[in-house]
Amino acid sequence: MSIIEFRKTSKTFGQVTVLDQVDLNIDSGEVVVLIGPSGSGKSTLLRCINGLEQITGGDLVVDGISVKSGNANLRQIRQEAGMVFQQFNLFPQMTALENVAFGPRQVRGLAKAEAEAQALALLDKVGLKERARHFPSELSGGQQQRVAIARALAVRPKVMLFDEPTSALDPELKQEVLNVMRQLAQEGMTMVVVTHEMSFAKQVGTRLIFMEHGKISVDGEPRQMIDNPPSDRLKDFLQHV
Amino acid sequence: MEIDWSVIPSFLPQLVAGAKVTLTIAFWGLVIGTALGFLVGLMRAYGNRVVNALALVYVELMRGTPIVVQVMFLYFALPILTGIRINPMAAAILSIGVNAGAYIAEIVRGALLSIPRGLSEAGLAMGLPRWKVLVHIVGPLAFRRLIPPLGNQYIVSLKDTSLFIVIGVAELTRTGQEIMASNFRAVEIWTAVGVFYLIMTGVLSLVLRIIEKRMRIL
Repeated sequence: MSIIEFRKTSKTFGQVTVLDQVDLNIDSGEVVVLIGPSGSGKSTLLRCINGLEQITGGDLVVDGISVKSGNANLRQIRQEAGMVFQQFNLFPQMTALENVAFGPRQVRGLAKAEAEAQALALLDKVGLKERARHFPSELSGGQQQRVAIARALAVRPKVMLFDEPTSALDPELKQEVLNVMRQLAQEGMTMVVVTHEMSFAKQVGTRLIFMEHGKISVDGEPRQMIDNPPSDRLKDFLQHV
Repeated sequence: MEIDWSVIPSFLPQLVAGAKVTLTIAFWGLVIGTALGFLVGLMRAYGNRVVNALALVYVELMRGTPIVVQVMFLYFALPILTGIRINPMAAAILSIGVNAGAYIAEIVRGALLSIPRGLSEAGLAMGLPRWKVLVHIVGPLAFRRLIPPLGNQYIVSLKDTSLFIVIGVAELTRTGQEIMASNFRAVEIWTAVGVFYLIMTGVLSLVLRIIEKRMRIL
């Protein structure tokens, strides 16, 4: 069964249609890479999955729950779909450890000691155990993003959503974040990734979706699509990234 | 007329009593004003259209009229309209409260809206309810940012109590005027009154500076 189902999903901002009756099923274990020109709706598509954007037409079902079925259900969806943002969005008043322990304590109701032990293990996993007591302002961009990934994982989601996770990073720092993501994919995490990193799409992605004008224009196997673009528009786009 | 500073000790007890009244009005007025300001500020920042409009009407009404007119209205007009008579002290405290409340509401709203939206989204994306995002993420960050303007408002309100001379509350300025009327020592008395205000606002400033230093503004 698909873990994410778009059913003729539309999203409009006033007169502007950002998502135009999208149909899309994503299965458990898939690593879906979303690409497309800016304004094509890829970020909006991602943000609709956890209800940060409200859909305006059709339906969208995540782990069996419709995003339209009320706030309590929406919170349920959000616990199952962790998100990583372009700008990291770590809580600046909390240390790395507190950032990661925060979700489990507040959302899953874990005791402090348990949440912190688990947070430390996650920071270790992203290679930042030594930075646990540092505040976000004391960490590099790449380190902040890895803490943000650990923070999202801490809530134990079934799906991870990445919204241009490396776009705000220097080329050197990108790699450390991509490595963590690669490791996550290898462990079988279901991932939806909006990115411009074509090498990541090729090596890690199991599926590549090219979006244009709020619609899915090409959907297929990443290696094939990148090496032999089936449409001129995709070919043109790939030459520019 | 020669200036004679040695007269000050003779009316010091009166000035201290006046300063106590000033502090009492400022303290209770600001307790009300702060509570009201936080409530209305939240209404302005997060309320739906109706709640927001109600809050805005209050803010504009209070910001748009002088505090002297407000206290005159409370003290002289309200009894005629409603039959409820309040004593000058209560009118003074209430005036400071509703007046400061309007300014504090805007300070609170500004601080809440200055917190980057991405931080709320990060909280919501974990599955937190909105109120928890406010209490644990946005609130603590906004609080740090509102301390400097809030302190400013406290000092302004403290000095605004001098306007209650118009309804005969025996606060510091009124006390100064009464002493003046009996001995005509304008230079000595108004200097002393000014110094009293400076001591009160100075202490307030100092406390605020200490709080700011101890709390990192993020």
